[in-house]
Amino acid sequence: MFEAPVQRLIDELARLPGIGRKSAQRLAFHLLHIEEADAVRLGSSIIDLRREVRLCSRCFNVTSDEECSICRDLRRDPTVLCVVERAQDIPVIEGTQEFSGRYHVLGGAISPIEGIGPDQLRMRELVARIDQEGVAEVIAATNPTVEGDATALYLARLLKPLGVRVTQLASGLPVGGDLDYADEVTLGRALVGRQEL
Amino acid sequence: MAIRHDQGIVLRSYPFGESHRVIVLLSPNNGKLRTVAKGVRKTKSRFGGRLETFCLVDLVLYEGRNLDTITQVSLLDAFSNIRTDLDKVVAAATMVEVADAVAQEHESAIRLFLLLRRGLESLDRRDLHPDLVTAFLLKSADVVGVAPQLDSCAGCGATEGLTRFSFGAGGVLCDRCRTPGAYALREGLTAYLARVAAADIAELPAPDRSFSGEAMGVARRFIEYHLEKKLESLAVLDG
Repeated sequence: MFEAPVQRLIDELARLPGIGRKSAQRLAFHLLHIEEADAVRLGSSIIDLRREVRLCSRCFNVTSDEECSICRDLRRDPTVLCVVERAQDIPVIEGTQEFSGRYHVLGGAISPIEGIGPDQLRMRELVARIDQEGVAEVIAATNPTVEGDATALYLARLLKPLGVRVTQLASGLPVGGDLDYADEVTLGRALVGRQEL
Repeated sequence: MAIRHDQGIVLRSYPFGESHRVIVLLSPNNGKLRTVAKGVRKTKSRFGGRLETFCLVDLVLYEGRNLDTITQVSLLDAFSNIRTDLDKVVAAATMVEVADAVAQEHESAIRLFLLLRRGLESLDRRDLHPDLVTAFLLKSADVVGVAPQLDSCAGCGATEGLTRFSFGAGGVLCDRCRTPGAYALREGLTAYLARVAAADIAELPAPDRSFSGEAMGVARRFIEYHLEKKLESLAVLDG
């Protein structure tokens, strides 16, 4: 047991994802020795995060305005929506510089085992956007897991009857990888999704 | 600390640390196994998709103090066709949810393992049979020793007039033994449930759609009563 302020910080840090008691202690003792100005900056960054950041009213990305910068950008193609599980997935797709449409953050994936169904995700909001924004294609950019695939299948079941084209990110071999090291599931999907040259 | 081999079906997994996952498997010899797969969430993981839910795998494990660490994985069957059909995913998820609920750690689970394996094979190789999940629920109840009594009254042993089903009494009841709250059975449903419970899960008889939904409802409430928990998977697409 440490002095109350140190113990309090350790307890708070240990609540963060991926931080155990030992790591929390290490971080707390590191913070104990940093300059006061650095500590104040870190503290106010956390407070600002809570005060200034909210969810985009249209796509549920994180933003400091009513709508995020992507939804406000008139150069983006409103007819193509990329559906992701979490807001953290958006910068990853933006990093490819291959997508110029808009996004929709579901807030998770359908997981029958955990009892997470479509009603717990932002499916209703997605359907509302189809008409409002004249969406013609929805790209299911969910994780290539059982849960992500189930979500993509549900999107197809939900949106195809509305005349929307539903596509899913291709899955296969990582660029720069060796065929030798590919697992059977990934290689099998790469074969099924092979492209004509 | 030793290295050992095992086999298992992946029941579920959850994130652990920066890039690891805890993988929960059903092993025929060791029951429920909790293991760690290090770095499996990275795209360059050497385990790749071999540790996805429903996969049947051969494992090499390094025994740890709390959790064993997976050092090698060979895929025996990915049951890949299940993942391409949402209704099959829900059916498979229900089966692994029940297996996860009834299996114990460090206890042999050969019958449960074989039942789950055959259930997943059936889902993967054939069209979804409307009674497959019902059969799995009734058979898993049998595996853990709470098979519903379907051929005679659970109260007095009578074989005629079996019109009610009592989850607490553990099976069908005759008119004389019926208790308040016992579920009223349509004529023919008892025989239908008995037929599904007795059939080979890989060779189920042709379904009668007028009974399938109700039979599933009875089997579901029966297993939920004994597990003392709701089956989350089956509720996912309700409504």
